[in-house]
Order: sequence, then C-alpha cells, then structure tokens
Amino acid sequence: MDNWVIAMMLGVSIFLGAIALFAFLWAVKNGQFDDEEKFLNAVKFDGENELNDALKQEEKKESLKRKYKPE
Amino acid sequence: MSHKISCSHCHLEFDPSVMIKDEEYYFCCSGCQSVFHLLCDEKLDSFYEKSKNITLSPPSKNFEDSSSFDTPSFYNKFVKVNSDGFCEVSLIIEGIHCSACVWLNEKALHKMDGVIEANINFTNNKATIVWADDIVKLSAIIDMIRSIGYNAFAYDSSAQEIHANRERKAYYLKMAVAIFASMNIMWIAVAQYAGYFSGITQDVKTILNIAEGVLATPVLFYSGWVFFRGAYYGLRAKVINMDLLVATGATLTYFYSLYITILGRGEAYFDSVSMIVTFVLIGKFLEVLSKKSAADVLDKITKNIPTDVKIIKQNSIVICKLDDIIVGDIVVVSSGERVLLDGEIVRGSGSFDESSLTGESEPVYKSVGMNVISGTASIDADIHFRVIKDFKHSTLSNIVTLLESAINKKPKIQLMANRLSEHFSTVILTLSFITFIVWWIWSNSFETSFMVAISVIIIACPCALALATPVATLVGLGLGASRGILFKEAAGLESMAKADTLVLDKTGTITVGKPEVISENIYKNFDRRLLYSLVKSSNHPVAKGVAKYIKEQDEKIDEIVFDEYMQIPAKGIRAKYKNEEFLGGNLKLLQENSLQVEVSTKETSFYFVVNNEVVAMYELRDKIKNNISELMENMLQNNIDVVLLSGDHENITKKVALEVGIKNFMFEQTPQDKAKYIEKLHKEGKKVVMVGDGVNDILALALADIAIAMGGGSDIAVEVGDVVLLDDSLKSLSDAFKISRTTFGLIKQNLFISLAYNALTIPLAMAGYVIPLFAAISMSLSSLLVVGNSMRIRHKWMRS
Repeated sequence: MDNWVIAMMLGVSIFLGAIALFAFLWAVKNGQFDDEEKFLNAVKFDGENELNDALKQEEKKESLKRKYKPE
Repeated sequence: MSHKISCSHCHLEFDPSVMIKDEEYYFCCSGCQSVFHLLCDEKLDSFYEKSKNITLSPPSKNFEDSSSFDTPSFYNKFVKVNSDGFCEVSLIIEGIHCSACVWLNEKALHKMDGVIEANINFTNNKATIVWADDIVKLSAIIDMIRSIGYNAFAYDSSAQEIHANRERKAYYLKMAVAIFASMNIMWIAVAQYAGYFSGITQDVKTILNIAEGVLATPVLFYSGWVFFRGAYYGLRAKVINMDLLVATGATLTYFYSLYITILGRGEAYFDSVSMIVTFVLIGKFLEVLSKKSAADVLDKITKNIPTDVKIIKQNSIVICKLDDIIVGDIVVVSSGERVLLDGEIVRGSGSFDESSLTGESEPVYKSVGMNVISGTASIDADIHFRVIKDFKHSTLSNIVTLLESAINKKPKIQLMANRLSEHFSTVILTLSFITFIVWWIWSNSFETSFMVAISVIIIACPCALALATPVATLVGLGLGASRGILFKEAAGLESMAKADTLVLDKTGTITVGKPEVISENIYKNFDRRLLYSLVKSSNHPVAKGVAKYIKEQDEKIDEIVFDEYMQIPAKGIRAKYKNEEFLGGNLKLLQENSLQVEVSTKETSFYFVVNNEVVAMYELRDKIKNNISELMENMLQNNIDVVLLSGDHENITKKVALEVGIKNFMFEQTPQDKAKYIEKLHKEGKKVVMVGDGVNDILALALADIAIAMGGGSDIAVEVGDVVLLDDSLKSLSDAFKISRTTFGLIKQNLFISLAYNALTIPLAMAGYVIPLFAAISMSLSSLLVVGNSMRIRHKWMRS
C-alpha cells in the first residue's frame, strides 16, 4: 500500500512537470522566445482583438495551404 | 507664439503656424497626415495608444521604384520558396522605434490578402515574410510597409546565420529537458541517499530507481545526442575526443543502472548519468554562445554599400543599379556622398575623404583629370566622373572580396582544453578497460569487475574538465566588459594570451587622430570671436583643432555671422565681415596671397590673417595617447614585439615611432600592404595581435590572429574586430593583454585542478573503493572547486 502511494505520487508529479516542460518546449520551437523584447511587450498588446486576428490569420493560412495543395 | 504642438503622427514638436491643420489634428507634413488617415481607415489607430508619446521619424516620400523588387534577378537572390510552396523573404525594416511599431507592421501586413506570415524581430529589426506569390506581389508588400511610414531592405540571410540560430535553439531545447530531468532526479536522489543511511526496503528503492530511469532516458538519448554525434564524427576522423568519453561513460552507466533496477539489487547511477550530461551540455552551450559567425560580419559590410548610382544619360540624371554601370558612363557624385566606382573627374572639383584607404583624416583635393577611387567619400565636391572600371573590378569590390577571403583564412588556434581532452579521454578509456580485465581475472565475477570499470569512468567523467574553460572564459569576458573591453569570442582570450607580436596602426590608435594646438604665437591683438567663427564652420581637422583650443581658453565665446564665407580647398578659409577681410589657413594660402612669414615650423601650422597682415600663428600636432609607456613596458616584459604600420609619410611615422620607442615601423602602407605584412608574420610562425581603427585596417584586422578595434573607429573595423576597446585608450589595450593572460592562467589552473582531482580519485576507483555516495559527492566537488577557483580570481581582479 505504502509503495503504491509513493509510486503514484512520483508518477503524477513527474507527469504534471512533463506537461509544463512540453508547453515550454512547444513555445521555444514556435519562436515565442526568439525576441526577448517582443516577448515581454506582447503582454501589453494582448486582448480579444488580438486573439481574433491571430485566429483569422491562422484560417487564412490554412485555406491558402489547401488551395496550393488540393490533394 | 512660442507654444509648440506635437504632430499627431510622429510626435515631433513644431510651431502651430507651420503645421497642417486637419480637423482637431495637427501634422508636420503631408506624409504624416496620409499615414495617420491610412491607419484610421484600416482601423489600426490603436497604434497611437500603444506607442504613447514615442517620437517617430516622419515618413520619407522619395523612395526608389518598388517594382525592382519584382524582377527575376531580385527573386533569384533573396526570395526562397518554402516547403508549402509559399515565397519567403528576409527584410530589414527601417524606422522601428518601439514595440508598437512592430505591432503595426505585423498587423498591416497580416491584413493584406495573400500574406501568410509576417514576423518582425524587435531587437535586430529583421523580418521574415511569407506570402502566396500569385495573390500578392512583393512590391505591394514593400509599398504597404512604406505607406505606413517605414522602409524595408532585402538582405541575404546567409545559410550560416540560419544554421547558427537553429543550433542555438536546439541547445535551448536540449538544455531545458536536461535541467528539468536532472532537478527532479536530484529530489528523488535525496530520498535514495537518505534511505542509504537510515535503511530502505528494496521495493521502495526499485520504485525510486524506475522513476529516475524514466527521467534519465530523455536526458541521455535526447539531450545527450550531441555527444553521440560528436563521438561518431570524432571516430570517423580517427580522434578520441571528450564526446566519446562522455557518451561511453553515460551509456554504460545507464545500461548498468537499468540492469540493477531490473535485477532489484545494488545501486543505480541514474543521477550520475543525467548530471554528467547536463553539466557537460551546459559547458558546450557556453562555448557555442560565445562564438561569433563570420557571416554576420560580411552581412553588415555589404549592407553598407548602396546599390544605386546617379549617372548622366542623354543630358539628364538617371538612377542606375551599381552592377549595370559600364566603363565610360558618367557618374554624378554630390557632396557628402560615397564614391562607389573608380573613375576620372570630368567636371567639378573638391576635397575627398580618403581615410578608408590611407587612414589619414586630412582631406585630399581633387580636380578635373584626376582619379577618384571607390570607397572614398566626397566632403564638399560636386563632380562628374567617367567610370574607368566596372563595379566588379573596382577597388571597393576588390577590398570586399579580399576581406571575404581574409575572414575565411583567419587562423584558428586550437584550444588547450580540446587538445588535452583528447589525451585525457584516451587514457581514461584505456584505464577503465584495463581495470575491467584485471578485476575479471582477479575476482572472476563479471558483475563486480564491470561495476568497478564503470566507476572509473564515472569518477573521471569530465564535468570539471568540461566546465574548466567555459567558466574561466566567462570570468575573463566579465572582467573585460566591466572595463570597456569587449571580447567578442571566448576563444579570443586564449589566442591573445599566446600572441607574440603586436601590430599597431598610427592615426587613431596610438595617436588621438585629431591635431591639437601645442603653441600659439600672437603678433598683433585681434578679436578672438572672429577667428573662432572662422574655424568653427570648417570640417577640416586643423580648423577643428584650433576651434577646440579657443573654446577651451574661453568657454563662453560666441559666434559672429560673416557677410561672406568661403572655403578654399586644401588651403583654408576666406571670410568678410564689415569691410574687413579674414584669411585662415596654411602656408600655401599665405604664399598665394604673397604674404611673408619668417617663422618656420616642423609641425602643422595655421595662420590667421586680418586685412593682409598675419596676426597669429598656431602650431598643431597629433598627440600621442596617454599610457603608451605603460603599454610598451607591458609588451617588453612579456617579450611581445611591437610593430607600427602607418599609411602616413615617412617623417611623421618615424617621429611618432621614435617618440614612443618602437624600433620596427613601416610607412605609406596601403590596406593591402598591411594585410601582406600580417601574412608575412604568419609565415614566420608569429601569432599576431593587430590594433586598428579605420577602414584601411580591416584587411589586416581580418587576417590577424586577434583583431582589436577602437570603439570610436569605423563601424566596419568594430565589426571585424575580435576585441573592441570602447574607450579607445591604450590603458584598455594593456588591460586586455593582462586580462587575457590572467584568464589563460586561470584556464590552466582549472584544468590542473580537475586533472589532479582525477589523478587522486581514479586509483581509488580502480581499486574498487568507490561507493555511490562518494562518486556523487566527488563529482560535484570537483566542479565546485573549478567554479570556486574562477570566482576567487574574479574577486581579486574586481578589488584591484
């Protein structure tokens, strides 16, 4: 029983830590930390409009991609 | 009315009477007005809220035609097609002041149809833009950037730069994983060691081992991949390197620990595996970080060369691409512009700044029939010249080509730590193999002998060795930076400490480069203000020297506005004020006006004439910087030969050399001569430190083992330099030598400590006395010793 608790605690905490690590890795790969100034200032320019714009941009990119590669 | 209003777009302040009023807004020019309306129409006006009151530069209106961005030759050079079939270009955006500017540019571009991605880096103003070429053309994108008040230039993002960035990012990812896993393993290890002393059941131990194993796996196979790769390439080149030692050590330990975990008895070493990989990876990263790429240097230099030239075609001036100019074209150069092609003057005259070729700041006067050389700049000359060589064969393009090859030819001194680690790795791997064989014969147990052999590798694992050099160089770089000495590459410290020849440039390096008044002879009293106003408006170094002298004598001196004022090229200045005539200039000017002076001086002289009577004479000299004797002493003590290379004439060079005590000097050196001299020294097996400040030194700087640039010198020299002295002083130069020697000494000490440590512990490990606790402590202890020793040196320096 004791052993089971230790194993579970270890497993859960490593799993949670790993989620944070993967989020960080994803952000680095995505280039979010490439420009430290911009990264710090991004907080100031965050809002509903920005999110909508980002989504629109993403949709535009996808639709164009589909057009270029019809298959 | 003195009340000023700031422009609604650029926030520069002007008097309301000169501004354009548009409803409740005020604009300084129509450019600002149109940008403002465009942003409002596009609903991007929240830009002004974001940028607050930062002043922008008003948008320029005279751009070259953007259609040149759509030409096939431009596409070939700058535009890449990415894997999705979209076009991609790298641009440098001009006019970015704040993060709101970045936001605005990205937003405006994102709004365009067909633009898929626009990413602007605020720190270096570089932008990457991805677009679908059949929907929008690049010229339209450029027009958009210009219409909102910025400008864009294409730049060739070289393969090396992309590679360097990608490599750095890969290291970040690998380090993130390694540090995350190591930190967690450490927590679990605390439980392990606590259990080791107070007792722990085998079940719990196995659970902890499994958790450690799970964490150590990505560290070894993902983060540690660089070592496997390095070891493989090393083996292919038949070199046993440190990577091989780390890779074999970590892998063997990993599999042994795995075996122990499955078997359920003994001690697992997963913590050692991840610690070794993490530490050595950090050491490697520090080295990668402090490496500069030659590609960046060339980028900066070629960016500075304009691509357009004004030429005369059918009696009108047209703008033409530099590459399209052919021999015989007539090129127009106005004052302040750079000469980009070699040619012969057919109209006009004036003085030229030839410092890029000679290093001397004294302007050279040229008139019809004389040759202008590419790379020089016109100071006050408006001329037409006939091209005698096309751009590919011009002096300027020659220098760029030479520079390119010089940067690639730059000698690389192999770092001591790298050389040492080769031998070290070979010895350790052999020792552990011998240990294994001997123990197997002795104890006849595979498990025991394998464990002992592995403990040898773990103990020897070069954490301390890998950290020895990076930590010491970090200390050296820090010491330099706090004194205004920037070492651009960590390896520079070691190379500089090994140097045995110091080559100095004259003007700007050991002399100040600006003539200063050393004596004043007044023959008749005159109004000082007149002389001050006369010399104040001239750009000539002698006039500037006199102006500085008068200003020092009387801080509050004010200027007079002359009725007439004209500069006489290469001779002086003539001015008129209230029916009196003033002349200021050299001996030639006096001779021209048939005036006689008796005093003759060896120094540069400046005469002031009022109504055809010489009233004052100033002697000027280019002063030698302070601390030269300290530098010479420092060089003498360390057996470093000092050579003076100057573009100046024999007498002046000789005089300076004698004064500072340099026996070895060369005069009238062209940039190519200087470079050849450095090459000659290399052939004699010398390790050369070159110090210079001008464009004329860059070839020699690029070739030298260590190039030191004066921070106040030309941008290109600073770019090429391995070391930059921010305060231009000779004291910094001797400090740079001292710091590099201290750092090199520190590297040697650190390597000695880690080797001595190993010499002590390896026999213990070979004898089989190493328990896991001891192995772990010993590993951190050796690293701590190395870091502590480096801190000690730093502390000592900081106090002095």
